[in-house]
Amino acid sequence: MQVTKFAIPEVIFGNGSITYLASCAQRLGAKRVLLVSDKGLEESGWVRIIINLLKAANLDCVYFDGLTSNPRACQIQQGAKLYRDHNADVIIGLGGGSPIDAAKGIATIVSNGGEIHDYEGANRISRPLPPMILIPTTAGSGSDVSQYAIITDKKRKVKMAIISRSLVPNISIIDPDLLVTKPRELILASAVDALAHAIESYVSRLASPFTESQALTAIRLIAGNIKPAANSKDHEALKNLSIASTAAGMSFSNAGLGVGHSLAHSLGGRYDVTHGLTLPILLPNVVRFNKPCAERKMETIARTINESCPAPAKQKKHDLSEILQSMFEELGIPMRLREIVPDNDQMEEICRLAVKDACSVTNPREADCDDLLKICGESW
Amino acid sequence: MPEKTALHDLIGIEHHKLNFFQELQKNIKELKEINRESEDQRCEIAAILDGITDVMMVLSEDMKIISVNRVFEQLFPGINPIGKKCYTLFRDSEHPCPECPAFKSLSTNTVCKNTAIFRIEGKNQQFDMVASPLKTPGTEEDRILIFKRDVTMEKEYQAKFYQAEKMATIGVLAAGVAHEINNPMAAVAGFAEGIQRRLTRLDKDIPAELAEDLYDYTNTILKECLRCQDIVKTLLSFSRPVASEFIPVDLNQVAEDTLRLLDHQFRRYQQVKLEVKLTSPMQSILGNEAQLKQVILNLLTNAVDAIEHNGKISIETFIEDEHVGVRVSDSGCGIPEENRDMLFEPFFTTKQVGKGIGIGLSTCFNIVREHNGEIIVDSEVGKGSSFTVLFPLQRD
Repeated sequence: MQVTKFAIPEVIFGNGSITYLASCAQRLGAKRVLLVSDKGLEESGWVRIIINLLKAANLDCVYFDGLTSNPRACQIQQGAKLYRDHNADVIIGLGGGSPIDAAKGIATIVSNGGEIHDYEGANRISRPLPPMILIPTTAGSGSDVSQYAIITDKKRKVKMAIISRSLVPNISIIDPDLLVTKPRELILASAVDALAHAIESYVSRLASPFTESQALTAIRLIAGNIKPAANSKDHEALKNLSIASTAAGMSFSNAGLGVGHSLAHSLGGRYDVTHGLTLPILLPNVVRFNKPCAERKMETIARTINESCPAPAKQKKHDLSEILQSMFEELGIPMRLREIVPDNDQMEEICRLAVKDACSVTNPREADCDDLLKICGESW
Repeated sequence: MPEKTALHDLIGIEHHKLNFFQELQKNIKELKEINRESEDQRCEIAAILDGITDVMMVLSEDMKIISVNRVFEQLFPGINPIGKKCYTLFRDSEHPCPECPAFKSLSTNTVCKNTAIFRIEGKNQQFDMVASPLKTPGTEEDRILIFKRDVTMEKEYQAKFYQAEKMATIGVLAAGVAHEINNPMAAVAGFAEGIQRRLTRLDKDIPAELAEDLYDYTNTILKECLRCQDIVKTLLSFSRPVASEFIPVDLNQVAEDTLRLLDHQFRRYQQVKLEVKLTSPMQSILGNEAQLKQVILNLLTNAVDAIEHNGKISIETFIEDEHVGVRVSDSGCGIPEENRDMLFEPFFTTKQVGKGIGIGLSTCFNIVREHNGEIIVDSEVGKGSSFTVLFPLQRD
């Protein structure tokens, strides 16, 4: 049996748990906080609320707002400069995958110096990071509990995966109340991302009993709650999605993912498309490709989804790729690559990069460039 | 792009979330090391400071003592000087000393020197003072570093050297003069005696009254000749090389001898009233007669200068408590307050050019100190001064 490891941060979960932010920061020795977030959260007012929470506890706060979606290496450097210029001590990341991964990148540069691509790959961080508190707002990326940070390298047009136990934050505060302001597309994109995390990590070659149970929990919750959450922003459903996202994060952080994410990363690096849009398109085909190597597990996933989906029994499908396909179509998610990327003449290059992606290592079935091209072809 | 990631990299059994504990440990170790180094440096600097034989003080702008070295503690044993004002310790005064080099050093931001005599533990000690401003970067507060070197000995040797030179010159002169005077004196005395012998033979030939007169004159001539010879003898005693050993000396005798030297001076100025009170019986002290004569001579000369040929000078010897003393007082001009501390400085003088060069009192000071004695000055401007020299009483 493979020796594995299960590492997660302190997780503070619950409606209104955001109010503990200041005391958490103080516990980590904060006097001047660097807050990393993005425009969307500024507009929805959460950035202001966080700053006020910190101010009320007499904590200085400097806000870094130089982020776009899919954070870039140069933005990371700007954030690190801001951290140093303001003598900040604790980093708070608020948002979806982008601000949270940017916070991780900034923390890495601040304490280890150099450029972010120096740390691409696994375990290349050699010095401790400043304390981090991450507050997810999308119930998707799971980055707030994971050892992964995905940063875009504009020069090479790739998404770099930085993997290190040091990227697991000190504290993750998950407050479902923050999900209320999200638009429908974002709820869907992030829920699908979380579902992909759960499915890929469940069948991963590094899956362990500890990750599998988290993955199944996530799958069950997403399947049961994605519709009410997206269509009526039902509070209970949103809460369940955030539990699912965190559980999926715990799972993939320790078990790794698969080629679905490898392809999503290289596509995202090349075309700057939203991560959560590429996954539902690729996932059914990736599941189909992996099926021979993870038949039992795929069945378990299918059963889990069927049990939590309130659908009539005769409509039930038993093949996981079909289940996913119909589920996404029902939600009105674009299901063809051509709908989200401009052309397919760089597919070979994209697939070559994806083979090298760290996420491919844990894919249950060995995949070469041709296999991935085939998957992309089916998805086009 | 790094080398290909493998499964065990993702598991990362041997990798964990790095924390600051090891870094902290490393820092603590480094800090301890640095701390040890700076402690060593501190000790070294402290050793260097303790090796300095001068009194060293760091003063604040308002003359409060901030820190001192070991020599200071030896000078004022058992006193915690920190926070006390410098002038209260050294001068027992409520106000800063006007000649203090510290102020000058502060205002000009340069190293300033000065010399002063301080009376510490009842003894006068002469110090060379060097004040240098201590500008500490980053603080508004200026501080002053003051070194005080006890130069009592050096000054003494300096004075002694001049004195010795002078005495040698006087000695040579006096020896010559003594011979030159003794010869005519001998002739005068001889011829005076001759006249007296002739007078006895001429007894019948001249009137008795004239004979009486001639006897009287020749007697006076003889007496004065003897006195001249005495004076010459006294002069010669001054030019004798200094005896290295102290012998019992009678202060009364010393006072009388010295007065005899100045006899002609007092006679010349009729307005000078001399009052002599010599205690008898007198206890002898251990000392050097020639040097003690010099002390009294200097004090008397100063008294004569102070009254400017008009006033009263008194000299008295006394025994009290454990001391034998001699006091020379005058009704002269007195010593202004600002000059009191300078009195015993070599080459400090208020006399006109040609009258003195200012080593009289400093010589006195050194001679008296060598005799384990002390000089006490008491003076009031316009009323007069009195100098009391005390010597320890010899117990048999």
